[in-house]
Amino acid sequence: MWGAEEKSSVPFLEMNVFSKLSSVLLCGFLLHGLKAGAQEDPRLRSSLARAILSAEGEQQSILGELGESGSPVVREVLNAWVRDSLFAYDLDGIKIPVLLDDQSDAQGKVRALRVDDGQVLRDANGTELRFQTADLTAVDTDARLRGLIQQTLDAIALSDPDPNVRRSAVLKLGNSQKLKNVGVLQSRLAKEAEKTVRKSISEAVALLELGESDPSKQVAAANQLRRLGAIGSVASLQSLASRSTAPAEVRKAANSAVRAIEDHLAVVNFFGTVFRGLSLGSILLVVALGLAITFGLMGVINMAHGEMIAVGAYTCYVVQNLFGAGFGFSVNLPFHFLGHPLGFGLRLPGLNATGAWYESYFLFALPLSFLTAALAGLVLERTVIRFLYRRPLESLLATWGVSLVMQQLFRMFFGANNVQVNSPRWLLGHFSCYDVSLGYNRVFVIGFAVLIVFGTWLLLAKTPLGLLIRAVMQNRDMASCMGVRTGRVNRLTFAFGSGLAGLAGAFLSQIGNVGPGMGQDHIVNAFMTVVVGGVGSIVGTIFAAIGVGAGDQILQQLTGSPVTGKIVVLVCIIFFLQWKPGGLFSIRSRNLD
Amino acid sequence: MKLIFNKILGTAAMLGLLAVHAPAETVKVGILHSLSGTMAISETSLRDVLLFAFDEINKSGGVKLGGKSYTIEPVIVDGASNWPLFAEKAKQLLEQDKVATVFGCWTSVSRKSVLPVFEKDNGMLFYPVQYEGEELSKNIFYTAEAVNQQATPAVDYLLKLGKKKFYLIGTDYVYPQTTNLILYKYLLLHGIPIENIGGGFRKDDAGNVISAGKYTPFGHSDYQQIVADIKQFAASGDACVLNTVNGDSNVPLFKEIAAAGLSAADCPVVSFSLAEDELRALPTKDLVGELGCWTYFMSLPTPVNKTFLANWNGWLKTQNHSGVVKEKRAVDSPIVLSYDGVYLWKAAAEKAGSFDVDKVREVLESGAVAFNGPGGKITMQKNHHATKDVFMGETKANGQFKILETYPQVYGEPFMLKDLTAKLAQKK
Repeated sequence: MWGAEEKSSVPFLEMNVFSKLSSVLLCGFLLHGLKAGAQEDPRLRSSLARAILSAEGEQQSILGELGESGSPVVREVLNAWVRDSLFAYDLDGIKIPVLLDDQSDAQGKVRALRVDDGQVLRDANGTELRFQTADLTAVDTDARLRGLIQQTLDAIALSDPDPNVRRSAVLKLGNSQKLKNVGVLQSRLAKEAEKTVRKSISEAVALLELGESDPSKQVAAANQLRRLGAIGSVASLQSLASRSTAPAEVRKAANSAVRAIEDHLAVVNFFGTVFRGLSLGSILLVVALGLAITFGLMGVINMAHGEMIAVGAYTCYVVQNLFGAGFGFSVNLPFHFLGHPLGFGLRLPGLNATGAWYESYFLFALPLSFLTAALAGLVLERTVIRFLYRRPLESLLATWGVSLVMQQLFRMFFGANNVQVNSPRWLLGHFSCYDVSLGYNRVFVIGFAVLIVFGTWLLLAKTPLGLLIRAVMQNRDMASCMGVRTGRVNRLTFAFGSGLAGLAGAFLSQIGNVGPGMGQDHIVNAFMTVVVGGVGSIVGTIFAAIGVGAGDQILQQLTGSPVTGKIVVLVCIIFFLQWKPGGLFSIRSRNLD
Repeated sequence: MKLIFNKILGTAAMLGLLAVHAPAETVKVGILHSLSGTMAISETSLRDVLLFAFDEINKSGGVKLGGKSYTIEPVIVDGASNWPLFAEKAKQLLEQDKVATVFGCWTSVSRKSVLPVFEKDNGMLFYPVQYEGEELSKNIFYTAEAVNQQATPAVDYLLKLGKKKFYLIGTDYVYPQTTNLILYKYLLLHGIPIENIGGGFRKDDAGNVISAGKYTPFGHSDYQQIVADIKQFAASGDACVLNTVNGDSNVPLFKEIAAAGLSAADCPVVSFSLAEDELRALPTKDLVGELGCWTYFMSLPTPVNKTFLANWNGWLKTQNHSGVVKEKRAVDSPIVLSYDGVYLWKAAAEKAGSFDVDKVREVLESGAVAFNGPGGKITMQKNHHATKDVFMGETKANGQFKILETYPQVYGEPFMLKDLTAKLAQKK
């Protein structure tokens, strides 16, 4: 692929192979509510279409009516509208609102489904029209209209089958400060069976009733909020307690409610901090585990560990793009050949996947990022590190050089700017447990850390390879004398450590930046964790990671400043290492002396 | 380093050669931006747009002074994201190359670093990037957004939407600190009680608030605690976040906000450091509906803007100088304000009939120099700031802004802090 003027695209994989593969795989994933909605009330659909195309004032009234329907079709269309994926197609001068089907054909085009009757959009001759997303213009929304749509969605959400959706809709109405919503909520309460939602409804009703004019009702509402421990109501209660015009008994009730809720809040904050500490600790652990193997076990001061993380993250980016519109790059070299600029390029066609299929890219990216980084590690070990096993300081310099080279390569292939990695929807949500909100991505990283630690332990402790690894790391020469092929074991161990770094990178792409310098952001943390834990001890790395993470979050909570917490943790680490230079779990072996 | 310099010199020489074919008279103009180092990603675009503006002017006959027309000859120097070097390079431009004017600087610290040089040598600098105000040098013209052309209009918009609680968050340096302090006073003045302003305060011994909001260092990546804090703050509804976090810390911040379920519909975030160019590196899907406020958006539907974008993209394709990116370029406010600056200077010089700094300044200060730029009409004021249109926009999935509100012809006011403090005292 090298040569003069070869900047143009080089088809690497035939497009239709990919597309056929994708459509076969797609069948399993897709089937959507729209088709089920075909038996819906046709009037609902036509008023929906009217709402989309009409003027502002009219939209308001139609949307109000639609809110009472509770129909899943309305919900789906409105959701698409808010997300800019509802389109208006101009069919012979008449604007027709359409949604795009999930399933794309061989050309990457999809059918359009009419909002007004749920049928496939056809032209005057009755042939199906197919589009690419870029061909169509989305129906416009703005902040006010989206507010309206959101209200309608909230009303629909109040009778949603999912209790979590119902709950958040209830909370929203509770915060509206409009007494007229009490009726809506109470009628819902009569029908509601789910315990948590019932609690939220009583909370919302009490919050609204704080605004009543009858003092006895206000006192009852305040007491109710105190019993429920409603965090969102503190401000309203406080303002009621400090309002001089309010009767004394109301103010007293409000005051005691505020105190009770603040106690509750302290408990919530405590558990929240524990959870956040665990999640930060897990990130440190995931980042440091690979280094615990390459540096801790093998004794290679691997400054390129951060770039292995970046390899994993960029793999994630490439896989994401392959599931989307495709991935390509072109590199211009700063040389000329007979007056032509030299360069090379590559273009991989994408699957143009949508919906759940697209979002599953991350599941494919995880093993791939492990493999890519392991491969990079293997190459690094073969070409550089194997010559330096007995010279740790030279390995520091050499790997640092490698890290600079790799950063420059990232810049060449992916550009100097950070790249976009979108999180799958199932990693973006959160759930609440006793008012502590647990983000899915955070829960995922904790589970992920447990899983890879378990996998590493399994490999090292329970497999023949693990036995060989431990033997070689304890005494390379002796292992060699016993007939262990130490070169091969070194290679595999280093590749495994690098692969773990790649996994860390894939995960970090979901919560942070992906760019050429990202490795530098993590290398210090990784070394810190391994050193504090005790070089050579994986258990030590685990304890150090959790300890540093929890310490950081607790101090941040106590001091209220993200910087102070970090400084205090680092100072503590310095003193700790003065006291115990070997780290938490120091291992004495001849190899490390 | 050396390589880059050689390339730049080469470019300059090439452009100089081109000038030989044009009318005989030339005028030297300096470009002072970081073309290497951390800021190069942003500032290289400004060098490109300046060269584009010069080419445009040269093609249409140059700068016309008293019957003669002068071709602009750019002198490009690299500040290399190194603030003391900026001062040295400024000195080189003014004393050695004797340029008529300089266009340059991005960060406030680089501007502060060159300011004494421009004042000593009586040079002229056009500064194009939104900044914190509280500065007025007779040698600097600020085409940039002042705080009242970005932050306070955004607050006005949010107040109009019925927001009652404001959480301030920023990166810990001069621009966010100053802006947040101004916003804090502005909010108090508009009847927002202090307990509805989130993020925390720092007070001096006398009990005066000297810093408002929550601050994180550059490159901060763990926003769990802060977002949990915002969530509790927003639990009672009608809340929004005023975000002056700078650079790539915005990625972990917005990912955390999305994961915590703080949707733009409930608790919008208005960011003052995220324009179209920055959005390219952010997961825009997670940002749909979040707000921005600038004096230019790429999505402005005006004919002037459309022509500008078409010409600019056409010009980029023909360029070969080092570091030029030819495709998928995002145009944002600093780029357009740089471009506007060139035309304001040209108009002023033509009116003054001279390139002499004092004479050009006199004309610019008269308030009679205006240019109809891509972002609308921009007029230089007596206080060296510019009157221009301010737009409120919201982020779309494609990384562009949808314009929600236009504040036409807002007068640029650099000294808000003193004014607000006085008004607050009066109110008490």
